[in-house]
Amino acid sequence: MRSRDGYYSFILRLCTIILSFSILLDADEYLVSYRYVVKNAILYNESLDISKSMTKCEGIPSQTLILASLNKHNFQKIIDKHKDKFIEYIQKLGINVESRERTTNNQINSTTIVTFKTTCFKVDFNDNFVRISHLKQP
Amino acid sequence: MKYSLLLIFLLCVTAFGGEKKVLVKKHESPKQGCSMVQKQAEVLTIKEPLHISVVGEGVAPVNTTSPAQAYALAKRAAIADAYRLIAEKVKGVNVEGQDFIKNMMVQRSTVRTSVQAIVKGANIVETTFKDGLCEVEMDITLSYSDFAQ
Repeated sequence: MRSRDGYYSFILRLCTIILSFSILLDADEYLVSYRYVVKNAILYNESLDISKSMTKCEGIPSQTLILASLNKHNFQKIIDKHKDKFIEYIQKLGINVESRERTTNNQINSTTIVTFKTTCFKVDFNDNFVRISHLKQP
Repeated sequence: MKYSLLLIFLLCVTAFGGEKKVLVKKHESPKQGCSMVQKQAEVLTIKEPLHISVVGEGVAPVNTTSPAQAYALAKRAAIADAYRLIAEKVKGVNVEGQDFIKNMMVQRSTVRTSVQAIVKGANIVETTFKDGLCEVEMDITLSYSDFAQ
C-alpha cells in the first residue's frame, strides 16, 4: 500500500504536466480590422489594425492561413512581412463594399470604402510557421 | 310576343358573352405577371452556379516614392473597383437624379449612384500594370445555396 505522500506527489506532477501542456497548446486570439478608401481611383487611408483579444473569443476555427514565421512570436511583425497574402485572405472571408458616385455637369467624383469588420482570429505560433484561423460565429 | 322573346334571348346572349370576356381578361393578367417573375428567378438555378467576371481599374497616386509602392497602391484601388463592379452586378445600383433649372436653362445636372454590399469569396484572376494604370480581373461564383439561407 502506498503512502499518502506518494499519491500527493503523483497528483502534483500530473497537475503540473496538464498545466504546462495547456499553456503550451493554448493559442492566442487576435482582433483584426481593415479599411481603406478609394477616391477617383486613387487609394487613401489604408489601415490594418491588429490587437490581442482581451476576452475569450467564441467561434469555430475555419479557413486557415499558414504563414512563415521564422521563430518570431510577434503577430504584428509576421503580418507586416506577409501583408499582401493576409489581406487577400481576409478579403476572401468577406468584406463590406460601399460605393458612391456623383456626376455633376458631366464631371464624376467617386468614393469607394472597403471595410473588413473587426473579426477574431485564432493564432497558433509554431517554430517555423504560424497558423491563422478565422473564428466563425456559431 | 315573339319579338319580345327574341329580344330577351339576344340580350341574354350578349350579356353572358361580355361576362366571359371579362373573366378571360382577369385570368390572363396574373399569368403574365407570374411568367415575368419566373424568368427573373431563373437567372440563378439550383443546378447551375452563376459565374461573374469583372475588371477593376486603379491609378497610382502622383507622389509615390517607388514604382513598387505605385503598383501596390494602384492594385488596391483596382481591387476596390472590382468589388464595386461585382456589388453593382449582383445587387444593383441606386440611382438618384436632380436637375436645377433657372430661366428655362439647366444650371446644374446631378446624378448620384450608390451601392452597398458584402462580397465573399471573390478571386483575383489576373493583374496587369501599365502606364500607371492597374487592371485587376476578378471573378466570383454564386451558387443557389448562398442565397437560400
